Amino acid sequence: MIAKIANWFDERVGWKVIWEAIFLRKIPKVNWFYTLGSATLFTAVNQAVTGILLTIYYVPTPDHAYDSVQYITTQIPMGWLIRGLHHWGASAMVVLTVLHMLRVILLGAYKYPREVTWFTGVFLLLVVIGFGFTGYLLPWDQKAYWGSTVGTQIAGAAPVIGDWILRVMRGGPDLSAVTLARFFGVHIWVLPASLILLVAIHMYLIIKIGISAVPKKEELA
Amino acid sequence: MNEKEKKAYLEQYKKDKEKGVPFFPDILFKDAIVSLIIFLGLIAVAYFIGAPLEERANPSDTTYTPKPEWYFLFIFQLLKYFPGELEVVAVVVIPTLAIILLFLLPFLDLSAKRHFWNRPWITVLVVSSVAGVLFLTVQSIRETPPPVEIAQGDPIATLYVENCASCHGGTINVPEGTNLHDVIAQGNHEGMPAWSADITSDDIDALAGFILSPGGNALFNELCRTCHEPSELVASDPIELKAALDEGRAYAPHAEVTIPDWNEVITPQKRTALLNFLIAPDGQRLFATNCAQCHGRSISFAGNRDELRDLISQGGLHLEMPPWRETLDNNQISTLAEYVTNPTATGNGSELFAQYCASCHGERIPTMDDYAAALEIIATGGAHQTMPVWGEVLTSEQLDALVNFTMDAARGAPLELGQGLFAENCAICHGDFGEGGPNPTRPDDVIAPISTSEYLKTRDDHTLFQIIAQGQPNFGMSPFGSAFGGPLDDDQVNTLVVFIRSWEANPPVELPPEVDARSVKLSADEVYTQLCAQCHGTDGLGLIGPSLRDPDFRAANTPQDIFETISRGHEATPMIRWGDLLGEDTIQDLTDFILGLEISDAGVQPQATPGFSSFAEDVMPIFEAKCAPCHGSMGGWDSESYEAVMTTGRNAPTVIPSDIENSILAQKITGTQTAGKIMPPGGKMTNNEIQIVLDWIVAGAPDN
Amino acid sequence: MNDGKQLDRRSFLGLITWFIGGSIGAGYSIPAIAYIVGPAARKEEDQAWLRLGAASKVELGTPTLFKIKVERQTGWITNEKELSVYVLTENGRDFVAMSNICTHLGCRVRWIASQDQFFCPCHNAAFSKNGEVIDGPPPRPLNQYQVKEEDGQLFVLGG
Repeated sequence: MIAKIANWFDERVGWKVIWEAIFLRKIPKVNWFYTLGSATLFTAVNQAVTGILLTIYYVPTPDHAYDSVQYITTQIPMGWLIRGLHHWGASAMVVLTVLHMLRVILLGAYKYPREVTWFTGVFLLLVVIGFGFTGYLLPWDQKAYWGSTVGTQIAGAAPVIGDWILRVMRGGPDLSAVTLARFFGVHIWVLPASLILLVAIHMYLIIKIGISAVPKKEELA
Repeated sequence: MNEKEKKAYLEQYKKDKEKGVPFFPDILFKDAIVSLIIFLGLIAVAYFIGAPLEERANPSDTTYTPKPEWYFLFIFQLLKYFPGELEVVAVVVIPTLAIILLFLLPFLDLSAKRHFWNRPWITVLVVSSVAGVLFLTVQSIRETPPPVEIAQGDPIATLYVENCASCHGGTINVPEGTNLHDVIAQGNHEGMPAWSADITSDDIDALAGFILSPGGNALFNELCRTCHEPSELVASDPIELKAALDEGRAYAPHAEVTIPDWNEVITPQKRTALLNFLIAPDGQRLFATNCAQCHGRSISFAGNRDELRDLISQGGLHLEMPPWRETLDNNQISTLAEYVTNPTATGNGSELFAQYCASCHGERIPTMDDYAAALEIIATGGAHQTMPVWGEVLTSEQLDALVNFTMDAARGAPLELGQGLFAENCAICHGDFGEGGPNPTRPDDVIAPISTSEYLKTRDDHTLFQIIAQGQPNFGMSPFGSAFGGPLDDDQVNTLVVFIRSWEANPPVELPPEVDARSVKLSADEVYTQLCAQCHGTDGLGLIGPSLRDPDFRAANTPQDIFETISRGHEATPMIRWGDLLGEDTIQDLTDFILGLEISDAGVQPQATPGFSSFAEDVMPIFEAKCAPCHGSMGGWDSESYEAVMTTGRNAPTVIPSDIENSILAQKITGTQTAGKIMPPGGKMTNNEIQIVLDWIVAGAPDN
Repeated sequence: MNDGKQLDRRSFLGLITWFIGGSIGAGYSIPAIAYIVGPAARKEEDQAWLRLGAASKVELGTPTLFKIKVERQTGWITNEKELSVYVLTENGRDFVAMSNICTHLGCRVRWIASQDQFFCPCHNAAFSKNGEVIDGPPPRPLNQYQVKEEDGQLFVLGG
């Protein structure tokens, strides 16, 4: 019965080809360090799912942000879990991204023919840092406010254009409702869109080229 | 990597792939396991740690120490090593270089070798970068001391963190002159609860000390905590504390303990901090723990701040108590001596104490164990108390706080005393707030408010003093000054004046509409009947005041004189400045009304015929006015009917017909009965009234 | 090498992988559903007796409008809601308290004394003074509040 339905869909959608291309392709034998990439992807999915759920209640204005976050954490069933997963997932994502990158560097996986994959990876690292930076302000508590004040201030220390960067980041000279709104916008629209695009390219390249094999210590010169 | 190498790699990879495994399930299985572990790990931290949420962002809070997310800490830390101009290096140059380096990595490392052992440069670079970032992060965490962590093992800091820090942050800036203990205990500002229910008084003292001198708390932990709990030493005797610090091992209770010589270990600054922690510079608390024992709740002190500071710092024999035997009789002195040795023993000791001692001793009774010694001290007076030389004991902050509090308390005291005196002596007729009311001494008369700003503006302190001291017999107010036979001495009258004066700025009542004729215009004859007739008689022939129809009066006064007398009052008589209350038009109308009265010789009629009194017509109205407010259905003697007058009372009969000597009523109104006060409590009745009652008793107290 | 055994191992791994994937999926979906449904499933706040005003203000036989402010906590926002109640009494002892919200589409009805009926301006509905539908589209009479009188004060049960 299941096979029949599967066939019916395959005839029309052709999923079996895709399934074979992606999931049944052969891969060199790799060790556990090669799971870091998919682990990072998993945290990205975690951030997306919990992040979408958080926007159901979160309101990005100074007079509501804190209250709504508190409401999520204390009043909504499982709110503590969703927010906890998002909060700690962010840290996990940064850690895993960096570990994944170290693995790629140390095992020379960025080399021919995977240079483009590497470039998208570096962009992804920047996106992840951007997520962390913008997300830090959203709860609008003391730590968020003052941490972001200092964070934007640091960016403003750049020569010549520093002040301009600072004003663009804050949407004015001071950290305000405008800042919160634009950090929110960047956090839930701009960065996720970039993330999805970059991850898509990253994945396409991995599947097309294949994951790098574990290099041997005694490799040909 | 040249073409050959590329080809070689691709071939090798193809082989590896063929030897490899399918992505699903072999590889994906591992991925799933790792994902599951991460998922469970995240749930665990979310459950056990939770997502932190600090207090709401407060842009005006400048004391908050900002901290970025932990993975940015290394950049934050980097800034510390590139101060000033060099900041750009940390902020722009290094991160930009790092990112560029990452992008260029495939072009910089062109060799075909992939294993890290075969690419030592890259490996060293990576390992050192990771080590550098880790080092900076750890360093940053170590260098930002989170306030909560110092709290470990420090009971007072813990107390602070648990109870205060969530609203007040790490430190509280206490304005000078704050009675901190009281603020913590009672919670006085918005949203701050009264902690006295949750925190012991000792702990509140320690908290106050911690807030005012956190360094002192640290020193306490360092030096004293091994042997002492904070609650044991805070707010204890400053003289003992000083002795313990000064004498070190020579201090008797420390003789057996191995401790360093405090004078060597503790610098003067640290010593001050320590003492400020142990005894918080909180004026009220200092006063309560150190001064109140002798001085009661407050000290009346008329000098200025500097004098008081000198007095406290120098201490010594500053109290000059008068030899009471010159003023009081033996009986009174022994009552007082008994009272201070055992306050519950005698009843009227407290009255004597309040009268003679409280002005210096306050409400607290000095404790004496030895009756004979107490007797001696009270009788001889003199410098009877040795005040410690506080200047050597207290820190300068503590002294300042103490002086501030004492000055404030001294300033506040007369008002409280005055309120008490007013309630005791004046409120029965003038009301609790001086709002006036029916005059119990004069039927149908109304006592005007004395607490309006108009009333007080038009009478200086001297006038008020005179009114209280001499009374206003014409209005039924008996003299209250002791010089005029009243119960209050000059100081008490002055205290009353100060209290009444305090209403001027903030009057508790405004003129009732019936007196304030400026808003409601009444016709002249109405005004006359309501206001003038009280003294000048309804017919204008005079009562207390002169007859307005007397030919001599008319001859001596022009219409202008009458107008001015009405508006300005008459200083020698109770006639007040009606111009304050009545409009010019009304006074003009009134003048015309008076001038319109027919001239007549008929003088002031004598009010009562001595020797004969009718109960119903003469006595009963007096009872109704003077006695019935209290002596009615409330129990005790009932003055509301003949029957009751003759039969009721705790020591009935109250009236013994024809016997003035033994009639309690007669004794009470004449003041010959000394048990309790003279009746009525508002002051003696007029001689005329007393005579009427006495005449009635002499006549056999008939029901006529 | 036993090929069949190898395949068995593979399908076993595949099964476990599916299972883990499913568990993680459930691990997200179940809390997510609770999270989304949460506020809806929350019980209505406890109803309380709300004081309307003096019973003597109600005219005999004429519905009298009372307006009271009720504090409502919605999410993290506390706001004041105005509750309008028409109170009717025929004898000064038994009171009927009616909502002024039309049962059709929630417009506010008003008492038209000259016609002796409630009138809803949205779709020209009319209710009798007892709240019964006289005319127009409303499906049922005006909602009633439980009402009580205590010490001359009227209270309705609401929240």
